[in-house]
This record gives sequence, C-alpha cells and structure tokens, in this order.
Amino acid sequence: MSKPAKASPPFKISAKSPLKIALVEDQPKVRDNWSQLINSFPDLSCICICKTGEEALRLIPEAKPDAVLMDIFLPRMSGIECTSRLKALVPEVRIIILTAMNDEELVFMALEAGADGYLLKRTKPADLRAALLDVLNGGAPMTSEIARRVVESFRLKAKTRDESLRLSAREEQILLLLAKGHSNKMIADNLEISVDTVCHHLKHVFEKMHVSSRTEAVVRYMASKTQAVN
Amino acid sequence: MKGQICLIQRFFISKAKGRNCTASLFGISLEIGVVLFLMFALNMARSQAAPVAPNPSGITINTNVDDPAEPVKDSLSERGSHNFSDMGSWIWDTNVCDRQTVRFWKSFEIPADTTVNRARLRITADNEYILYLDGREIGRDAEWRHLYEYDITSLLSPGNHVLAVEAYNSSREAGFMFGMKAALSSGKVVEVKSDKSWLIVPLDVPGWEKKVEPADSWRQATFESIFGQGPWGTMDYIDLVPPLQPLNIPFWQTGWFEVVLVTVCVVASIFSFILASQLLLHRKEKLLLQQERARIARDIHDDLGTRVTQLVLQGEVAQRELPPGSSTRVQLERISDEAREALRAMDEILWAINPRRDTLQEFATFVCGHAQTFLKNTPIQCVLDVEPAMSTIAFDLPFRRSLLLAVKEALNNAAKHSEATELQLKIRRQGDGLTVVVQDNGKGFNPAQPKAERNGLANMNQRLNEIGGRCMLTSQPGNGCRVEFYIPFIQMHNRPWWSNWFFSNRLTRTKPAPVEGKK
Repeated sequence: MSKPAKASPPFKISAKSPLKIALVEDQPKVRDNWSQLINSFPDLSCICICKTGEEALRLIPEAKPDAVLMDIFLPRMSGIECTSRLKALVPEVRIIILTAMNDEELVFMALEAGADGYLLKRTKPADLRAALLDVLNGGAPMTSEIARRVVESFRLKAKTRDESLRLSAREEQILLLLAKGHSNKMIADNLEISVDTVCHHLKHVFEKMHVSSRTEAVVRYMASKTQAVN
Repeated sequence: MKGQICLIQRFFISKAKGRNCTASLFGISLEIGVVLFLMFALNMARSQAAPVAPNPSGITINTNVDDPAEPVKDSLSERGSHNFSDMGSWIWDTNVCDRQTVRFWKSFEIPADTTVNRARLRITADNEYILYLDGREIGRDAEWRHLYEYDITSLLSPGNHVLAVEAYNSSREAGFMFGMKAALSSGKVVEVKSDKSWLIVPLDVPGWEKKVEPADSWRQATFESIFGQGPWGTMDYIDLVPPLQPLNIPFWQTGWFEVVLVTVCVVASIFSFILASQLLLHRKEKLLLQQERARIARDIHDDLGTRVTQLVLQGEVAQRELPPGSSTRVQLERISDEAREALRAMDEILWAINPRRDTLQEFATFVCGHAQTFLKNTPIQCVLDVEPAMSTIAFDLPFRRSLLLAVKEALNNAAKHSEATELQLKIRRQGDGLTVVVQDNGKGFNPAQPKAERNGLANMNQRLNEIGGRCMLTSQPGNGCRVEFYIPFIQMHNRPWWSNWFFSNRLTRTKPAPVEGKK
C-alpha cells in the first residue's frame, strides 16, 4: 500500500444535509456559546454535546458526527488523550482541537495524537466555518512551526518506521517550504503543481502521522497522566 | 483544567532535570578543597618520616651519623687515656640538697671574621643534665660516671652564643662539669670551662635558656671540686655523641610553611563551602522563581484566558441575536475584537513568563510565529530560515525578551519604511553565539544620515548592549536593509563558575521590563 489511506470525497454542505458537529467542552458557558454559534449557521448543526472525554468516547461513536470540536484541556482525560482514543474507535471522524491560547507545542501533540486540525477558541465565527470546511477537505492549516515539527518528528522516527509510513520526497519538500513560511499558494507556484495537490500531500502527511502514532500516543498520554497524578 | 496542569508540570519536571550544571560547580569547589587537604596530609606524612632530633623547641639540629668528614667509631663509648686538661671544675649552687634543680647559664663569643674549624664540648652532671646551646636542646643524660662529648662544629658561627644547662641532683652530692674547646681558622682557640663565672638562673625565669643577657639577680655558681678530686674521682669513660649538624630542612617542612598551608586549606575549604552553599541557594532561588513563573502562567491561562475567551464567545452569540447593521451589534463586534486582541497580548505575556519557554527552540518558534502574523497584513512576504534542529539549551527570560523586542523593532521598521516585498528572518547558532538576521529587499537608506525616526535603531542597539550582545546594521539606498543581532552564549550560560557566582544575582534580579502594550 503506497498510500496509507484513501482520499475522502470532498464535503458538500447544504442547509438540507447540514454538517453534523459534536462538541467536547467541560465549561458550561463556553459549551453553550459554542453550540449556539454552530447552530446559528444554517448548514452546521451541533448534534452531540459532551462534558468530558469519557462521555465523548461513549456518545460520539453512536452519534456519528462529521466532525468533533475537542477542547484540549479536559478534566481527567485530556483532549489529546481523548482524541487518540476516539480515533482508535472511529477512524473516519475528523477531530478539531480547540485551544484558548496559541500553544503550538500542544497543538502538535494533538495533531500527532490524531487530530486533523486546530482552532483557537477566539476564531471569528465566519472564519470558523471556513476552517471547518478546510479541515474536512483535508487541508488542515499548518503553520510553519507545525510543519517544522512534523518534519523533525518523521526524521526522528525514520529508523523504526516501515517504508510506507515515511514521508515521500515531495511531502518533505512541501513541509520544508511551509516551514520557511511559504503559503500553500506559493508552494504550488514554486513546485509548479496545483494548490489542491499541495493540500492532498499535506492530508497524506497527517494520515501517516496518525497511523504511526495512534498506538504509541495512547501509551504516552496515559503515562504522562499517571505522572501528573503522582 | 487538570490536563493542562499535568502537562505544564511534566515540562517543568523535565526542565529541572536538565539544569544540573550548578551541581557540577558544587563538585568542582569540593574537589579543590579535597586536593588541598590531600596535599597537606601528604606533607605531614613526609615531615613525620624525616629524622628529627627529639627537640621540642624548633627542629634545627640533627645527629647525622653519615657525615663522611667525621667518621664515628661504632662504639660510642671508649675507655683509655684522654686529655682532660680542658675540663673545668665541678660547680654547683651554694646550697646542696636532694631533688634539686639548678640552672647554669654562660655566654661566650666567637670572634667575627673567623670560622670554627673544630669545636667539641664535654659535659657531665651528678645526676642529670639537659644541655642547651643558643636556646636549643643539644642533649641530655643521667650518668655522672661518663663524660659526654658533643661535636658542635657546625653549630658555632661567629657571634655571641649562650650555653644553658639544667642540672638535677636526686640525692647527696651534686655537681656539674663542663669543658668546651673551639679551634678557629685564625689559629685561636676559644675555651669555656665550668667555673665560678657561670651564673645560676632562678627557676621562675621563663624562657631562661634563650636569654642572651644575664639579669642582675642571677648569682654566681659555687666551686665544688676540681676535676679528678672530690667525691667523683677521675673519669675513664667518654661517650662520643655523633657530630651535630644543622638539619637541612626543605621549605615545605618548615613550620611557617605548614602554618601557611593549613591556613590556605582552611580558607579554601571555607571558601568552597560558601561557594557550594551559594550555588545551592542560587539554584533553589532559580527553581522557586521558575515555579512562580509557571504558576503565574497557569493562572493567566486558566483563569484570565478562559474568561476572556468566554467574553469573546458571549459577544459573538449576542451579536447573532441582533439584526445585522444595528449599532449595538457593531459595538458588540468591537468588544469581541478588542477581547480577541487582549487574548493575543496574553499569548505573548504567557510566552514571556512561562519557564518552559526558556529555550532557544521556543524562542525561534515564537519569533517566527510573530513575524508571520505581523507581516500577514502587509505586502511583505516573510521567509523563514531557522536551523532545523534548534537546540533546547537554556535561553533565559532577560535574553529572549530583549532579543524579541529588538527583532520586533526591526520588523516594525521594515513594515513601516522599507517598501520591501520580501523579508527574510534567519535564526542560526553561529560559533558560540546566536545570530538573528532580519533582511529586507526594500528601498534601504543611508545609515550615516541621521533621521528623526531612527530612534528604533538606537533602541535595538541599547537592548542588545544590555544583554551583552551587539547589533549590526547594513543598508544602502536602493539595496535593502540588513539588521544582524548577535548574542554570545557565554553571556547566557557558559560563564565560568566564578562569574556565575558573582554575576548570577545581578542577572536574576534584573527588573523585568514592563510588558509592551498593544496599539
């Protein structure tokens, strides 16, 4: 298998079949506001609201949402751990991490654990919809810092990974350009490919990252949790 | 928020583990102390192994049996005819009683400009004597039937000398007899014999054997009997004491040197101890400071951050309930936007105070992120060039803050004045320092030409100077502008151990600059 995952068909949203969103957030006020904001868009609907990671693992596999908005800091089970477990249960669900503060280190950990993208909680509602669609279509936003970390993590693990989970030359090239601060558009121009192809490559990078780190991530976050409790 | 706390804790723990350099400094200072002590111990062992005459008052006389110039017979006691003519008489104090101690004192002079070719003295006392020359003990014995002969050639130099004898009578008859003959290079002979000219020193005079001048209260000795007469008769035995030689003491075995060495050892140990405790204290202080910074970061994040985020969301929801275009809705939007800006500012404060950001890597990350966000709304394209594996070595708050502010200034200048289309931000480790280069392809300017708005350049220079770095600006009209910042690592952590001790307080107590307000 040269490609680790099949390309998902692009999402089409209409008011008739609104996008089903699940929300995992422990703070009641934020939870209410988010669900109201989501529901204020005619083509988005919040179908499942969970207060904790444990609840999310119980409810989300049945609710089958298209996307999950996951707070990164949850009591007991962190959003990162929950992401990792949820991806193991329902691999096809798209998970978007919500953070209050811009912390690329945590975001990268979440992406490694299986998240498909991340949003700042303060994102404007109008941008929220666009960002959601981006993520669902595979074009997860990747800052230069995240791209740099991705390349680094793949290089570190290159020896232990099997061939199909390594970055291809093209993927690494794109990531390195991203790390230099180029936008998807500039990369496309630079490499003489279409922006869609760039997005497609990035999507594969994420998928490779998720497949390879799914099991180890669970172990890792479990371990970190035990450490903190002690 | 428990998950977040656990993450921060985890980072903090791993950070603390990396900071063991102070511990190694502690080790070094202890080692210095140990080495000095070993030196001292070795020295003591050597000086004890060396042959030393049993002399408590300064070790300068040795019984050297290996002197080739003066072969000594195997038997130190010989019998036969000797020339006793140079012996004095038996003398004692006026009163004679049992268990009596009498101290005899006599001075003589070896003339200047001569050397002593040979000097020997013979002595005996009924019953015991201790003989001092110039305040130093030369010998003692308790057999009145034997004469003891001492060779003191090497002890006599030109000048005044003092003979002192403490004699002890256990019972009945008491006497002390002495004779010295020193042959000089001038052909003269200096003779000293026991006679009435010897003075008797009272027993309560302290340090009497070292006195060079007699006191008026000392009385003269009393003649008892000439040699060969009286109760003692003649003597057939002479005990030859091996020639006395001044002991050649190497300087490291001398008393003053040992005193100095002990002092140095003690001072060094105390110094090491103080140093070690200073380091420990400093480390503890630093740790506490970090914990406090982590706590503040956590509080801002958990409490303030969550609340303001909530404010933004609440504002957004409230807007939705109003018809588009209403003035209240516009105001609500402004409130939300303002709150968003507050969150952005908070992000930066959090970055500055969070101790887990105290690394080069975190610095590079933040600066790049800032540059990209800052230049997003300008026509300038930002190109980053960051060393791929940026080290995680420590990059303390004062340094990263100052450098960040300087870089921001440079970015600001480029955005305002350069009219560039591309800006390159380069972060590299270079040799033993960190280099940050901000280079644009704009219109440039003549750096020699002063301008009112060049305040920024002075600011950058000042910021870098404060942390021991430097700032270099190169620009030509029409040829872009390049600002290079450089901070040597030695300023940050590789300082020698002593400078760490001297300067650490100054650095950690640097007053943090007030957080820059957002426009």
